[in-house]
Amino acid sequence: MTKFTRREFLELGSKMAVAMGLASSAIPDIADAMESLATGQVKVLWLQAQSCSGCTISFIDSEAPGAGELFTRYISLLFHHTLSTTQGEGCMEIIHKTSEEGGHILVVEGSIPEGMPEACVIGHEPVGDLVVKAAQSATHVIHLGACAAFGGIPGSDNNPTGAVSSPRYLKNKGVNTPSIVIPGCPPHPDWFVGTLVHLVKYGLPPLDDRDRPLMFFGKTIHHNCPRFYDYERSTFAKKFGDPGCLFELGCLGVVTYSDCTTRYRNGGINNCIKSGGPCIGCSSEFFAKDPALPFYRKGEKKA
Amino acid sequence: MAQKVSIDPFTRIEGHLAINLEVEGNYISDAKCVGEMFRGFEQIMRGRSPLDAQQIMQRICGVCPVSQGQASSLAQEDAYGLEIPDNGRLIRNIMLGANYFHNNVTHFYHLSAMDFIDVKGILAYQGKDRMLLDIKSWVQQEMRSKKLFPAAPFLPRYETRYIQNAEVNISALKNYFVAMDIRALAHQLVAIFSGKMPHMASNVPGGVTEQVTTKKIALCRTKTRQLREFLETEYIHDVLAVANEFPEYWQLGKSCGNYLSYGSFAQAKGNTNKVFEPGVLINGTFSEVDTASITEQVKYSKYSSDSGRGKTNPEPNKSGAYSWIKAPRYNGEPMEVGPLSRVMVAYARPGDSLLKQYTDQFLRQIGRTVEELDSCLGRHAIRIIELQLLLDRMEEWIEKLEPGQPACADFTIPASGKGAGLTEAPRGALGHWISIENSKVSNYDCIVPTTWNCSPKDDKEVSGPVEQALIGTYVQDKDNPIEAARIVRAFDPCLACAVH
Repeated sequence: MTKFTRREFLELGSKMAVAMGLASSAIPDIADAMESLATGQVKVLWLQAQSCSGCTISFIDSEAPGAGELFTRYISLLFHHTLSTTQGEGCMEIIHKTSEEGGHILVVEGSIPEGMPEACVIGHEPVGDLVVKAAQSATHVIHLGACAAFGGIPGSDNNPTGAVSSPRYLKNKGVNTPSIVIPGCPPHPDWFVGTLVHLVKYGLPPLDDRDRPLMFFGKTIHHNCPRFYDYERSTFAKKFGDPGCLFELGCLGVVTYSDCTTRYRNGGINNCIKSGGPCIGCSSEFFAKDPALPFYRKGEKKA
Repeated sequence: MAQKVSIDPFTRIEGHLAINLEVEGNYISDAKCVGEMFRGFEQIMRGRSPLDAQQIMQRICGVCPVSQGQASSLAQEDAYGLEIPDNGRLIRNIMLGANYFHNNVTHFYHLSAMDFIDVKGILAYQGKDRMLLDIKSWVQQEMRSKKLFPAAPFLPRYETRYIQNAEVNISALKNYFVAMDIRALAHQLVAIFSGKMPHMASNVPGGVTEQVTTKKIALCRTKTRQLREFLETEYIHDVLAVANEFPEYWQLGKSCGNYLSYGSFAQAKGNTNKVFEPGVLINGTFSEVDTASITEQVKYSKYSSDSGRGKTNPEPNKSGAYSWIKAPRYNGEPMEVGPLSRVMVAYARPGDSLLKQYTDQFLRQIGRTVEELDSCLGRHAIRIIELQLLLDRMEEWIEKLEPGQPACADFTIPASGKGAGLTEAPRGALGHWISIENSKVSNYDCIVPTTWNCSPKDDKEVSGPVEQALIGTYVQDKDNPIEAARIVRAFDPCLACAVH
């Protein structure tokens, strides 16, 4: 393993503390956590179910530490469908042997087609079976992204594959491994990396009643909205591209819990509401669920 | 007697694919592309507000959501009779160009390169580069450890001949890690106007909700310049280095020879004057695109026999079916889509085109012919040619943005209507078709690039383009069928797109 100086761990710790919204007193603890990640003790098995790989793509946008750093210095990323050099049968060997050895963190990306197991198959095995086996021997399961967390679009009410969230699937199968739910479409990379660090150092982070880490999902988007002032003054955008609060266009920031508006996305460059896009509630358990509830409110011409 | 060889799961692509081969005397005699995942996006879209479509449908794919989202907005604009402002069109092009950059860098370095780079080569590294020394000591430690799977996710791998030239190998390996940041940078360029990536917040029918400001223009300039530097000093070099080490791949991976492009990057009103031009090329004969000529066949797909274009009725245990992917055909013919198709259409189309000029220049520099582009290496090479062309255009588009001018046109959703949205995703021809009744989506249909490329056999038993590219290929070691892996990956399959 790469030799890191204590100073480097402290630097990383301070970056992560900021990312996790923790006080500076937590920096040495987080540096310890990064060090223990760096000893390669933390095995991570990542299984993709009914996903678009957007969670993975977002994760590899991670800045500090970057994805390359993460899996050469901090974690043993034993299998990842999009990143593993291994192909073919060797993958199944890794998935099964890791599941049999146990003690890993399982990451699930995507919903599970409970009603149609044939709708997601890896190496002739329904992904649900692989997820159950890998979850049973895992220390923790991280349900990453809207689809794994709450079912997302493939798990919406009118879906044809009987797709459900991975926590619900595991519960239905009687698996009780401690769970962390990181929603978002896609999740911010800090949410995932920050949770990983917290898990290693302190165990489970404080969670809300949906198993979301409170450090990231404790407040509504509205709470720190860049257009909050417009809301207070009742200056509302009437059409797309208008300045003002986006509430009347259907913005769900008032009922959606996440820190997007303070954390920003893609290296701090922007976020949904700042760009004029009403929040569509992608970190909410209701995201895309009900076909009768549209994302936007916009005048419709009657027949 | 044919021997069965399978790559299942086929990793380092987007999504769930298996490749099943029959090999006779080391030659592939039959190939099956097996799409292993189905979600039902078209059914899920039915009954929803049409305005949900660009949000729902862009989430078909986390790698090319810009293309999916824009196709949906184009389909709605067609249905609403809506013209978008110049700023909106320019922003869309900049976002799409940046997403091509993200896609192509991810495709070459993070998906394909580990079929060529020798990770273990780092153990012999004697230089002083800090990043490389870190990787070296990590691999050393891992190899010495008692872990079941040391140096994951880079090992285990197919054991075969990797890049022999140590210097070239090390440079490409380093760029695997550097490119992680470069692709994130390309995402930042998209997000300047999209709010976030993946999955744009600002993309709506009528244009883009984000405003044009001088600060954003300056940000775009800087990030575009950084991308250009990586392309010109590293990416081109690494692709050509792989080409030098494996010149036989200019001959491997020849596909069906039929090409389809819808065109994209419109530079004038009415979604016209496209940088990548539309066209159809079947057996060397050029024609304009007529989407009425497209059918979707399901004899070997896991859908009821009455399924097809616009109708998707899953039947997971259908006898004889081997894939969740349908078999789209144009005038009954399988069509390759993607970078190679765009180039072939540019050559076949009457008149000159930018893509032809850039391709000619590149081929002159490396001493290869247009015919050789129909190959594994050709498909990789065209992706860098396209980025050269697009970066030049993006720099022009950025300068044409007008601060303070609208980027979005207002509209009302009609009670009924139909619309088509055709564009070119990095992976090829992408079509969305929307039907609206009672102001709700009554039907939604997508035919996506990988649906074409990774299609199974059709009703007449004709194999899909990737299957055809594999058939006839010599496989040296059936336990390590790297030739097949390299050929398939060059198409940049996206299975979440293909089936959706």
